[in-house]
Amino acid sequence: MSSPIIQCKQLNHIYSGNFALNNVNFELAAGEPIGLVGPNGAGKTTLLGILSGFLHPTSGTVRLFDHPPGAKQLISKVSALPQDARLDPSFTIAVQLVFYGRLQGLTKPQALLEASRVLEAVSLTEISHEKPGTLSHGMAKRVAIAQALIGKPALILLDEPTAGLDPINVRTVRTIIAEQSSATTFIISSHDLAELDRLCQRILLLEKGILQSEILGQNEQQAATRFITLQMESAPAGEVITKFTAIAGVLQVTNPQKNEFIVEYNPALQAQMDLQLIQCINMNHWQYRQLSHGKSLEEKLFFSD
Amino acid sequence: MHPSFFNQLLLISQFELKRGFATRKGLLSIVTFGVVWYFILLYPLRFTADVLVEDNGSNQHFSFFDFIGFGSLQHWPIPEFGVFWHIALIIFPMLSVTLAADQTCSDRERGTLRFILFRSSRNRLFFGRFVGVMIIQTLLICATALSTLVLVLARDASLFASALPNLLVITLNLILAVLPFTAMMAALSATVKSARQATLWAILIWTFLAGIISGFAYYLPALSFFKLLIPGVQLAELTQLSGWQTLQLAYIPLLQSFILLAVGRWIMARQAL
Repeated sequence: MSSPIIQCKQLNHIYSGNFALNNVNFELAAGEPIGLVGPNGAGKTTLLGILSGFLHPTSGTVRLFDHPPGAKQLISKVSALPQDARLDPSFTIAVQLVFYGRLQGLTKPQALLEASRVLEAVSLTEISHEKPGTLSHGMAKRVAIAQALIGKPALILLDEPTAGLDPINVRTVRTIIAEQSSATTFIISSHDLAELDRLCQRILLLEKGILQSEILGQNEQQAATRFITLQMESAPAGEVITKFTAIAGVLQVTNPQKNEFIVEYNPALQAQMDLQLIQCINMNHWQYRQLSHGKSLEEKLFFSD
Repeated sequence: MHPSFFNQLLLISQFELKRGFATRKGLLSIVTFGVVWYFILLYPLRFTADVLVEDNGSNQHFSFFDFIGFGSLQHWPIPEFGVFWHIALIIFPMLSVTLAADQTCSDRERGTLRFILFRSSRNRLFFGRFVGVMIIQTLLICATALSTLVLVLARDASLFASALPNLLVITLNLILAVLPFTAMMAALSATVKSARQATLWAILIWTFLAGIISGFAYYLPALSFFKLLIPGVQLAELTQLSGWQTLQLAYIPLLQSFILLAVGRWIMARQAL
């Protein structure tokens, strides 16, 4: 394993007598985007605030690239999209991005070029001479992501990057993250599990300030049993469960939501279970909307045994 | 390569200058100040100077100036500078309480400070903003001093050579006078949520501090030492001095600024953003 980019040891943070973070320990290596999930008040923003150096932990240690948060060695190496942070309404977007670039040690011509590059990365070159007050919520979010991309940092912390955005802007943000993730490790805090499922190979689950689990996507590939999630058009649930259960290798079929079925099977007995299920659907003249390997993130995090 | 402390201090203070002179809000403040100063220059300052010039040593008006606390006017060889000195000692500290009120508070509330702190430290930001606001005030002080010089030269152009040293000492003293007020606003701005709150707290704290310490010192003269904690405590004494004598009290604002900046830096370093 490569050396960790983030190390948290026995991290505690107390807000007015309550643990916002309670003995959080983890290490993260550079790589694919990492999701940070948990209910409201679970401590996600607090954790990101501590990693960013905006908050001081009550106790415990945090290291980013082997430096404490806020260290000057982290300039241009770590960046973030803080939740609800807005640019200064008095200056144009370009002026502020150039200023941030210059603070990162770029010369004025370099900072101008960098401001253009990051605005191009978020498809907003045309608004560089606008002031933040004239932007829509989606545009403002993309500009805030643009500032995080200045200097091509190795680690970017995104706190609710798609909160309150329309589907088109959500897709744009997802594309930006996917495009940049080859050079940058993203840590994304979000309530949008479908979004995280698409983007992240690894998930951290925080509940009541306690790190509950680290879920790794690749573990599924080595598991003794696997899952297939099926979204059906209206189909008789009882009959679907009976017919699927009858297929060789199927261990269990559950129906957690209307028209959604999760098939647990033994890959050693039936490696091509997806084809078997489609055949079964075809023979019974049912219709399906979607078939995906594995459980949805929501199932994995909140409804697994 | 990481930018040095002074490099970032310069960048942050330059950005404050841009805020002061190249934004709509900043320009509005400057223009308003300019208009107010124009009327001060045209009426109280010119009028009083004219009276003093006409008086020409007869002292018939000095009892009135003594009465309103402007007695030291007679010690100034150029009356316009004497009047400017008295007026500026009142106006600039007051201006400082409003002009320097928003050093960090609204940026902190809006979250803009977070964008900056990924690229700089809290110390650099705190001192950079303070330096920026001090430069803006210095430029305003210089502009008002030069406008007074123009008024003097319009009356008598031969006074130019003798006016320059006076102008320098007044400018220097005024910068020193606003220094602790700006430092107090830096500390308050690091604590409260808006510029308005910072101004209100500054007035309240200053009034209570001045009232309480002066009250205690009245009954226990040994406590007079604590008067040094009140920003602007030297101003009343300064109005009674003239020329280079005025710099003999420079240690007071310097000491106050040092303490207030240390307090502000301490608050900033511990502040959750």
